[in-house]
Amino acid sequence: MDMKRDYFEDVQLLKDRAQKIWFGILIITLILFPFVSPNYYIYLINYIAINVIVTVGLNLLIGYTGQISLGHAGFFAIGAYATTLLMLKLHVPFLLAILIAGFLAAAFGFLLGLPALRLEGPYLAIATLGFGMAVTTIIGRVPLFGGHMGLQTPPLSIGPFVAKNDREIYVVIMLFTFLMTLAARNITRTRVGRALIAIRDSDIAAEALGVNIAYYKTLAFAISAFYTGVAGGLMAFVLGFINPNIFDLLQSILFLAMVVVGGAGTILGSVMGAAVVSFLHIKLEAVQNIPGVGQFLVYLSQKWLSVSGLPNFTFVLFGLILIFIVVFERLGLYGIWLRSKIYWRTWPF
Amino acid sequence: MFGQLIINGLAVGSLYALVALAMVIIYKASEVPNFAQGEMAMVSTYFAYMLLISNQVSWHVALLGTLVFAFALGMVLEFLFVRRAKDPTVLDLIIVTLGMQLVLHGLAGWKWGPDQKDFPLPISDTDVVQVGGLVISYLNLTTMIAALLLMGLLYAFFQYTKIGVAMKATQQNWMAARINGIRTNHILGITWGISSVIGAIAGVLFAPTSTLDPHLMWDPLIKGFAAAVMGGMNSLVGAALGGYLLGFIENLFGLYISLEFKSIVAFLAIVLVLWFRPSGLFSKHYERRV
Amino acid sequence: MAALLKVENLTKHFGGILALDHLSFEVQEGEIYSIIGPNGAGKTTLFNCISGLYRPDEGSIVFDGQELIGLKPHRIAEMGIARTFQNIELFSNMTTMDNLMLGRHIHMRSGVWHSLFLPWRKSLTAREEVAHRARIEEIIDFLELQSARNQLVKSLPYGRQKLVELGRALALEPKLLLLDEPSAGMNTEERQDLFFWLQDIKEDLGITIVMIEHNMQMVMDVSDRILAIDFGKKLAEGPPEEVANHPDVIKAYLGEDEDESAAVARQ
Repeated sequence: MDMKRDYFEDVQLLKDRAQKIWFGILIITLILFPFVSPNYYIYLINYIAINVIVTVGLNLLIGYTGQISLGHAGFFAIGAYATTLLMLKLHVPFLLAILIAGFLAAAFGFLLGLPALRLEGPYLAIATLGFGMAVTTIIGRVPLFGGHMGLQTPPLSIGPFVAKNDREIYVVIMLFTFLMTLAARNITRTRVGRALIAIRDSDIAAEALGVNIAYYKTLAFAISAFYTGVAGGLMAFVLGFINPNIFDLLQSILFLAMVVVGGAGTILGSVMGAAVVSFLHIKLEAVQNIPGVGQFLVYLSQKWLSVSGLPNFTFVLFGLILIFIVVFERLGLYGIWLRSKIYWRTWPF
Repeated sequence: MFGQLIINGLAVGSLYALVALAMVIIYKASEVPNFAQGEMAMVSTYFAYMLLISNQVSWHVALLGTLVFAFALGMVLEFLFVRRAKDPTVLDLIIVTLGMQLVLHGLAGWKWGPDQKDFPLPISDTDVVQVGGLVISYLNLTTMIAALLLMGLLYAFFQYTKIGVAMKATQQNWMAARINGIRTNHILGITWGISSVIGAIAGVLFAPTSTLDPHLMWDPLIKGFAAAVMGGMNSLVGAALGGYLLGFIENLFGLYISLEFKSIVAFLAIVLVLWFRPSGLFSKHYERRV
Repeated sequence: MAALLKVENLTKHFGGILALDHLSFEVQEGEIYSIIGPNGAGKTTLFNCISGLYRPDEGSIVFDGQELIGLKPHRIAEMGIARTFQNIELFSNMTTMDNLMLGRHIHMRSGVWHSLFLPWRKSLTAREEVAHRARIEEIIDFLELQSARNQLVKSLPYGRQKLVELGRALALEPKLLLLDEPSAGMNTEERQDLFFWLQDIKEDLGITIVMIEHNMQMVMDVSDRILAIDFGKKLAEGPPEEVANHPDVIKAYLGEDEDESAAVARQ
């Protein structure tokens, strides 16, 4: 019948006209954004975009391969410190520095992935938790890394172009985020991605089909660490300084929360999860200023808790969200999105 | 020198052993590594702190009250959160415990603020007993004795009490236990309660040597995990031995290699043990069944 | 004809239980070789040893002139042995197409680097994806799975899931196909189809089949030779009629009731 079926359609990013139009609108929005937005929001978007990179990378590991990591703040730190130090001490140009940093993180990811080969879920979680904590301990104590005072990040420059403010950093970050998200999508849709999902769904069947589990598990760790390392390098420029406290256990859990909130095993979900969690994280730093809720929380703090500890509300909320998702909607935001799509398609019947 | 090293190792190892025991009890019952264990202990320790500084009750009563609080906390967390997940995978359960970790960490920070407090336990960390050239502080001595006592109690509990035997049965075969009329849900709640109590004791004994803030138990948490992994996660005896062993190795590392990086020993121990003996130092290898 | 698979003195313990006890047999190229035996006789353990999931305690497994013991499962798959599982092991969150594409894994080359260039139709990844999808389409047509093509396999009924698993094994283009209870859970009609497919796989595709099967009618109809085992030991081996009438087989496999077993054997 349809002998001339074009299988390329199966793997194309944009399958029909509607998708092409939406994609075009997205790109135009991203390009126009810095011209129309106030500075504060550009900072926010930069922060979100970097977390998108981490979440996409971490999702390759957790959502696609079914392995867990509670140590990604460690890779984040490695990327940030490596980029900063390469530029500060060895005057390596930015692009090269961040690439080296990414591969350095990947190398650490590969090494951590080796013992991970023999580990099932709980053990792996523990080992990666230990890794993350070990990294912060080490960078906090080595003078080269600035100890607990941390380091000042050099200005971001590519050739003659020097990014002086958030608006100019935005260009660099958004390019990275865009390309790396697309790359992840390509990886997950083809041979490597299928092998990763296969390992998650049934490792023995994957093995029996010739998938080298050891190779792909360590590969997943390395790719995931690469993404996180590059993101860490970029984050150094957004923050302007780095110190060990940025990369603690809570940061690792926050990354995990982004994956879980967005939906494990989807690229689109990763983007949504990173956006929502990062946005909340930044917004809730000044939760007392939010009308209504803020006043209530301040009242609550005065009566039962403490006002100075109010920023901790974020953690309580994120913790509850994590539990809520496991109990009610395991696919996270992506699941909700899928459902509402079906709902609107059949609406109003 | 070496004798002192062993004493110090045993003292700190007692703490690790307690945290490890607390984890293993839950792990055996539900195959979930409890990442909220540290924060549960931290919150209980804060509770003890409140009772102690209020001067309303004697410190004996305060500690007893803390144990009751810890038990209730464990049971409540299990009932409110852990039990809610339907057909959870290991990953789901890990996420739930991480969620609880965040909630407890946040609540503690919200209630007591980020500033560091001195924990007023009336057992001195600086006054020492001397036994034949070896020095040991009252606090360390108490810790060691308390740990041993607790292990003895746990052993008796699992061996001779009805609930303890029911818990063991549930750990070994949940379905069979259920069919035989054991209310496994209750058992799980009690398991969390007991685990929480053990953690709280570790927290109260650890706080005086450190300073009390919401990060109190992060370091003991990873070390408890390391100890539990060394023991194989499935064995109470293994966890206790793992704790002592880790305490000893850590002090050895601190003396001969580097004091500064002592705290990465736990991570190295985890990786090495898992690499060479994935099911722990003290348990038999198992083969995967397909 | 040469022996494609040669198993010799294969022994496997699980703790104190002897799952395989010095088992030896040979499978000729191009035949359908069935293994029967009561539950717990060691049939699946044997498959797991061949595909490298278990490491036997003793003995040797030679496939196509090469020793398999000690090789990793993925190496064994690459040599041309594909299998299905007793309790379906599909990648349940993937579509039928993607499941079958995993059968092509060993025939494809593109890695992480190549996949970055997927948007270009001329890239290695894009060319491979297209070519191998076309190949899969043939298997989908062969097993009449067209309607399931883009569905998640977890949403398919049991019988179709078994077919997807069979298709996935075929996609590997194996020389030897190990089928663990292929007809379990199928209705009569599906079983009938399976019978013809097995014939086609043997004759048209030239694939040797070793099959564990409980349905005696299926075994008797489709097999060239049968191996009966119990407690990990060989009871009998030979053409279907011979094995079915073997006194030891009747006793072990069908119980002591002579009348009933004879009746089954006659089927």
